[in-house]
Amino acid sequence: MSFDFSIVYQYLPYLLSGTLLTLGFSLAGVVFGSVIGVLIAFGKMSRNKWVSLPFRIYVAFFRGTPLLVQLLIINFGVVPVIIGTSNGTVAAIMSLSLNSGAYIAETVRAGVESIDRGQSEASKSLGLGKVQSLRYVIMPQAIKRILPPLGNEFISLIKDSSLASTIAAPELTYWAQAMNAQYYRVWEPYLSSAFIYLVLTYVLGYLVNKQEKRMKS
Amino acid sequence: MISVRNLKKSFGDHQVLKDVDMDVDEREVVVIIGPSGSGKSTLLRCIGQLETVNEGEIAVNGTVISQHDEHDKYTRADIGMVFQQFNLFPHYTCMENIVLAPTKVKKMPLPEAQELAIELLREVGLEDKASAYPSSLSGGQQQRVAIARALAMKPKMMLFDEPTSALDPEMVGEVLEVMRRLAKEGMTMIVVTHEMGFAREIGDRVIFMDGGQILEQGDPVSLFANPQNPRTQAFLSKVL
Repeated sequence: MSFDFSIVYQYLPYLLSGTLLTLGFSLAGVVFGSVIGVLIAFGKMSRNKWVSLPFRIYVAFFRGTPLLVQLLIINFGVVPVIIGTSNGTVAAIMSLSLNSGAYIAETVRAGVESIDRGQSEASKSLGLGKVQSLRYVIMPQAIKRILPPLGNEFISLIKDSSLASTIAAPELTYWAQAMNAQYYRVWEPYLSSAFIYLVLTYVLGYLVNKQEKRMKS
Repeated sequence: MISVRNLKKSFGDHQVLKDVDMDVDEREVVVIIGPSGSGKSTLLRCIGQLETVNEGEIAVNGTVISQHDEHDKYTRADIGMVFQQFNLFPHYTCMENIVLAPTKVKKMPLPEAQELAIELLREVGLEDKASAYPSSLSGGQQQRVAIARALAMKPKMMLFDEPTSALDPEMVGEVLEVMRRLAKEGMTMIVVTHEMGFAREIGDRVIFMDGGQILEQGDPVSLFANPQNPRTQAFLSKVL
């Protein structure tokens, strides 16, 4: 095995732009996913079985099918219906958001349900409505328990977004594959991309841990 | 002021309240005693609208409150409630705990609510704790803040669900002192407690519950001195 740094150097602009897109996908996934997740979580927590049903189906679908299959369905099915043609970047953001929304929904639900029942009883007895109770009493406490898993979700998305290379979204793995095809080299492209992923996840993991410790104290 | 008629409440197959009737007059202090599992806390929670009712009705000043699923905020806030576990909001200071409901439910301007909060904290002897978080307070202090918080909504009556049961013995007195003063000021109160001495002292009427029913009630002196029902006798002989 030989490792030719010069071709890595040549490809560096592409790898970096791919890294930015990877980060962008993950960030979009966790931000849109959080919005979706909160909506799904409260829908799913509804005591009315029929109201909660579509939300339960949503979570079951996105957690029970492979992300790759979801990417294919959305890229070749859903996105063409909406914008007339398939588009890897749009499809990737959409898939990652919808998919992480399902996971984040469970995180949010667990966070809200972990707050002692006495808290909502106290706010009820003071005359606060359901929404007020959530907004002023339950969510501020639940958010502390939701944020660390959300950070971990972000880290997972960095790795999962590599699947978007299969629908030609030009993120990090896409460029590694392009490099492989251009030079007929294996180690340089894939070890480089692996190294970049590792740096991203390691640094983010460190930050999440630090934040988690700070919140506990 | 409060009238409870034929109240029945079950959790699953277990019937906790079997046909309870109770009336409480304005300015009356009613103390409910009885063994664990007798349904006294459940009765209180039904009146506080924290539990739905299976059968029967509860009316406050003639307005039936037990029939609605989503209770009217204002009738609910008319009834203040104090819990065994205090249930202060840990992410807010004492001041913020107290002003939350008046500013959000009654839309009281914040400065006015803060003034009210200081006044209430002074009444429970904790005006220096306004900016403290609940976790830095002792149990007794937390419970006094919880009472102040409930009073901030100017309730027409107060429910106390074993307010001293989670406290260390040396902190029971300070909470009872606050309740004693409330009773003297003419607050309508229903108190579920195991503090028999306190029940005898401040109760206008004592109710003994067992097995989901009210078995005996009367003025504290005669009920404690001369209980009629054998189960009341058995209970009192154990706790007095």
